[in-house]
Amino acid sequence: MTFIQTSPVSHAQHHAHPVMGSLNGMEIALEFDSPQIQQAYAALAGIAEFSAFTRFGIKGAGAAEWLQAKGISLPSAANSWLMQDSTLVLRLGNSEYLLEDQFIAGHASALAQDSAPVGAKLYPVARSDAALVLSGQHALAILAEACALDIAAELAQPQRLLMTQVAGISVTVLKQTLNGESVYRLWCDGTYGAYLWHELSTMAQEFGGGPVGLSFYFK
Amino acid sequence: MSKRLPPRAGEWLKRDKPISFYFEGQKYQAYEGDTISSALWAAGEQVLGRSFKYHRPRGVLSLANHDVNVMLADGTDTNMRGDVLPVQDGMQLTVVNTDGGVKKDKKRFIDAISSLLPVGFYYKAFHTPRSLFPFWENIIRKSAGLGVVNFNYPRELKRKLHTHCDLLIIGAGPTGLTAALMAAPHGVNILVVDENAQAGGSLSYDNGGSDEAAKRLAELLSELGKYPNVTIRTGAYAAGYYTDHLIPIVETTGITKVRAKAVIVASGAFEQPPVFRNNDLPGVMLATAAQRLLARYAAKPCENAVVFAANKQGYRAAMDLLDAGVSVKAIVDLRADGEPCSLVAAVKSRGVNIYNGSCVYEVLPAANKFGVKGVVICSYDEASAKPLLHDRFTLECDGVIMSAGWAPAAALLYQAGTGMRYEKSAEQFVPAKLPVGMFAAGKVNGIFDLAQRLQDGARAASEALTYLGKQVPSVTVDREYIGSPSHPYPMVEHPEGKNFVDFDEDISIKDFVHAAQEGFDNIELMKRFTTVGMGPSQGKHSNMNAIRILARIRQLPVERIGTTTARPFFHPTPIGHLAGRGLHPHRLTSLHGWHEAHGAEFTDVGVWKRPAWYRRAGLEKQQAIYEEALAVRKAAGMIDVGTLGRLEVRGPDAAEFLERFYTGTFKSQKIGRTRYALLLDEAGVMVDDGIACRIAEDYFYITASTTNAAAVYREMQRWLQIWQLDVGLVNVTGAYGGINLAGPAARGILSKLTVRPLDDASLPFGAVCDTEIAGVPTRLIRVGFVSDLAFEMHVPAGSAQHVWNALLEHGAAEGLRPFGTDTQRLLRLEMGNHLIGQDTDGLTQPFEAGSEGAIQFDKPFFIGQRSLQIIARKPLNKRLVPFTLSQGYQGETINECNLVIGADGNIKGRITSIAFSPSAGCHIGFAYVDPANTDEGAAFNIRTDSGSLVMARVAATPFVQLQSEA
Repeated sequence: MTFIQTSPVSHAQHHAHPVMGSLNGMEIALEFDSPQIQQAYAALAGIAEFSAFTRFGIKGAGAAEWLQAKGISLPSAANSWLMQDSTLVLRLGNSEYLLEDQFIAGHASALAQDSAPVGAKLYPVARSDAALVLSGQHALAILAEACALDIAAELAQPQRLLMTQVAGISVTVLKQTLNGESVYRLWCDGTYGAYLWHELSTMAQEFGGGPVGLSFYFK
Repeated sequence: MSKRLPPRAGEWLKRDKPISFYFEGQKYQAYEGDTISSALWAAGEQVLGRSFKYHRPRGVLSLANHDVNVMLADGTDTNMRGDVLPVQDGMQLTVVNTDGGVKKDKKRFIDAISSLLPVGFYYKAFHTPRSLFPFWENIIRKSAGLGVVNFNYPRELKRKLHTHCDLLIIGAGPTGLTAALMAAPHGVNILVVDENAQAGGSLSYDNGGSDEAAKRLAELLSELGKYPNVTIRTGAYAAGYYTDHLIPIVETTGITKVRAKAVIVASGAFEQPPVFRNNDLPGVMLATAAQRLLARYAAKPCENAVVFAANKQGYRAAMDLLDAGVSVKAIVDLRADGEPCSLVAAVKSRGVNIYNGSCVYEVLPAANKFGVKGVVICSYDEASAKPLLHDRFTLECDGVIMSAGWAPAAALLYQAGTGMRYEKSAEQFVPAKLPVGMFAAGKVNGIFDLAQRLQDGARAASEALTYLGKQVPSVTVDREYIGSPSHPYPMVEHPEGKNFVDFDEDISIKDFVHAAQEGFDNIELMKRFTTVGMGPSQGKHSNMNAIRILARIRQLPVERIGTTTARPFFHPTPIGHLAGRGLHPHRLTSLHGWHEAHGAEFTDVGVWKRPAWYRRAGLEKQQAIYEEALAVRKAAGMIDVGTLGRLEVRGPDAAEFLERFYTGTFKSQKIGRTRYALLLDEAGVMVDDGIACRIAEDYFYITASTTNAAAVYREMQRWLQIWQLDVGLVNVTGAYGGINLAGPAARGILSKLTVRPLDDASLPFGAVCDTEIAGVPTRLIRVGFVSDLAFEMHVPAGSAQHVWNALLEHGAAEGLRPFGTDTQRLLRLEMGNHLIGQDTDGLTQPFEAGSEGAIQFDKPFFIGQRSLQIIARKPLNKRLVPFTLSQGYQGETINECNLVIGADGNIKGRITSIAFSPSAGCHIGFAYVDPANTDEGAAFNIRTDSGSLVMARVAATPFVQLQSEA
């Protein structure tokens, strides 16, 4: 039986009547407005949802060895990330990893479809993240209100990621270049997704920005 | 008569932008850059407000955000401080705390009977007879308080931002600006904040007869402008100090929480008024207020001034007054030796008489106390602090300019934990031991001479840079005083009083004497009895004098008296600022949209939004809940349990971990079976419960209650750190959705969506298996919380909607209905299941709740075990029992927390849950009762809200027939 999963953010997006599409079995917002308006939003303060990407999570003292045996390159330090092929590899702390494919199937999909990992000190982590992208010239101003940390300074070092609180909830943040523009990627527990989307998009609108569909980044 | 002066160099007015506004119904002209007070004063208006208690007329006192008797409303806002708030075109201002307007305030009669109303009078006067106290309380309540709260105040977004810097400098006066200039070349990120509308501090008004200050300010600002790493924010006050140099900066637009690596406090000092009779009349003001009026707002404080001084500042103000064309009739200097500085000669050369060792004995009021018509001057004995009346004489004037000393603006230093000492040569508390990374400079550090302040700013910058790891030469400052900046006791007694110490609350010297006589002779007790420092200015102009008075009463040195606590925030801050955006994080299950579209009424359960019940056409709430409950009893119902905590415990020591964490046994638990898991704290108090599903030898899947899931996971992590077992913990609460399907038709409905056999033999009560429901990988658990025939499905969060829809589609014909948490509570009550947090409280232990069966005492250890062993040896005080009211009970509603009353009339317990059960046909509930009265059928009384007693009887559970018995 095939079915479409709901995005963890979709409840907060319905009122904007986005054009929806399916990616990896999840219904996701592809467009919120015309390309010109979305371009303007993204340049000022854009908020987009990337939740439909495939993820694979694993933790435990044996996780690194197991992942490496599967051919995954790992960030050398805690709280950092790298891109392997089309897969983001996030090292969350000392012994927890999150792999996320970027639009096309990659290592995360392969590992997720494989049989459950078996081994000592190896614990799979089921993920249902809300994944957001914050862009534009006012992105830092938004984060200055939503987050107590000095995001610009903390993420000045390439490949570094932060696990902090944004708008009062636990969020993983990193800075990445997408389509030639610096953006902030955010992941939070999916059950907070609608809340975080609502707050960040409200702030974005105050700066003249707004929601941007997934297709803006991946045609 | 207008007091506006021709344009002056450095004034803050924009003469090309005239504006008009209304004050108490009358139109006034002003310029952009004026404050409300300066505009009114320049227009010749002296009565700007009324005092809080005696409703005495008041004018300008400090012009530095401490004129708390000039509080205004403009229709929307209230309690706006006129002395600093910029006047705006079209404002419609009225004075708060008047009855009939500021000029004709009907309550001004209170001043005439003030001798009947000393501080603390209401403690005694209205204490007896007690029956009349509500009457008096009502009158006092209406008299107290300033302004009227506007409950229709529009919600304006005031952002709360975060920012970071290397060096935060509080105060953009000469000291702060110098510190910034010294630090700027070293590349550190510097933020300078100042509450004034423009930078400069005393350089912007304290000229002392020369233009040196103005030149210095221009130079400093010009130099600082060359450094992009220096930001100066004016109209921004540092409101408090919190750990790790977190300092909220309050501006009109909101609050910025600054986290600084180092902080220089160059916040200056508050000028303190000398205390003498009628020192509060309009026209009597602090020297620095007069200088601010002149320099910033180009307004004369008066035409004919008497300066009452006890320090150099008075002479500097006199020079500025003379330069502005004000006639200075005399300088009355409290000190027998007078002022040692060179300004004395300068003042004398301009024809001003100086009376050393003298005081202003009293100010003579003009008509209606709306101003000053003269002063009475006499000799003063500093040793005894007594006026010597033998040589008194009267001098006509229309203004009194007073300057007797300072109090450091050290609130943030105190909050940061700075150790202060009393510097006798300055007669001031100064920092003795500063916290790491904090530095103080300038007046707040007890340094007043301008050249020394600049040097002190450089010294603080040097120390801060060194702290930040920069290599800089050290700077030393010689603390030299040519005359103390503060007088040790600037008080002039007067038999008729009205010599005010605290202008907020109209507290005069005799009130302190009375307080001490009553035994309130400790500064904290005296503060509370007299209310000194408890008004809107928080003692900024009164605490230091209060300390000096108490020291004199007790014959102790000032440093032995100590100071009161200076709490954040530094100034009153609007609630809208504190609220900010009002972020309220909340979680939604993936079914939330469906619930919303189908009439759910939501309730907050912890951080979750959950459906409490679903609206049905033509049904009231209670009836809708009954129908949902009956559906579960007669057909099937389902509830979204995606909010339940879900925790994975994996590893070779998983069972050992659970045996220690929960009260039960888990090592013997079979794979595919569930067990009840009860969590206690170390005191033996019931904290949470759930079920532990054994999925594999080394893998348990645990559920926790919706509200406690995060706390349970946190505790698991903490205990794992302590026990160091070979276990991995994963919180998968948000990763899965959950659906509970219950009722006699549940099995039939579910069987349409899975190939997994669901009969009791294949999936008995307490079993757990991984299967597929509607094509979705599902963890299926036979549970019995709301019904003994119920299935709990845990599925990936994004798939929950699909499963929910499939269940509805296949169950509709069999009467399947969704139900909410209100119904769930009724259903679990019918089943006789108590709820931790509802039927227990923060002290309930398992013996009281009847949960002994869940405890395995023979284990080596579990959390709370030792406490329970001790508790078990003590007699039980209460016991939770199920109960029913009589069939057909129609009496007064019984509520949760109504008390259980024993035969002896004493309280034995309370009701924890009660509801009418449509299935049982009667009221059912849980209550704590006398442990000796718990047998089935035993009667006990419940006291209702009205006080009447209703009989209930201990009952057996479940209250409804089980499906297995049907």
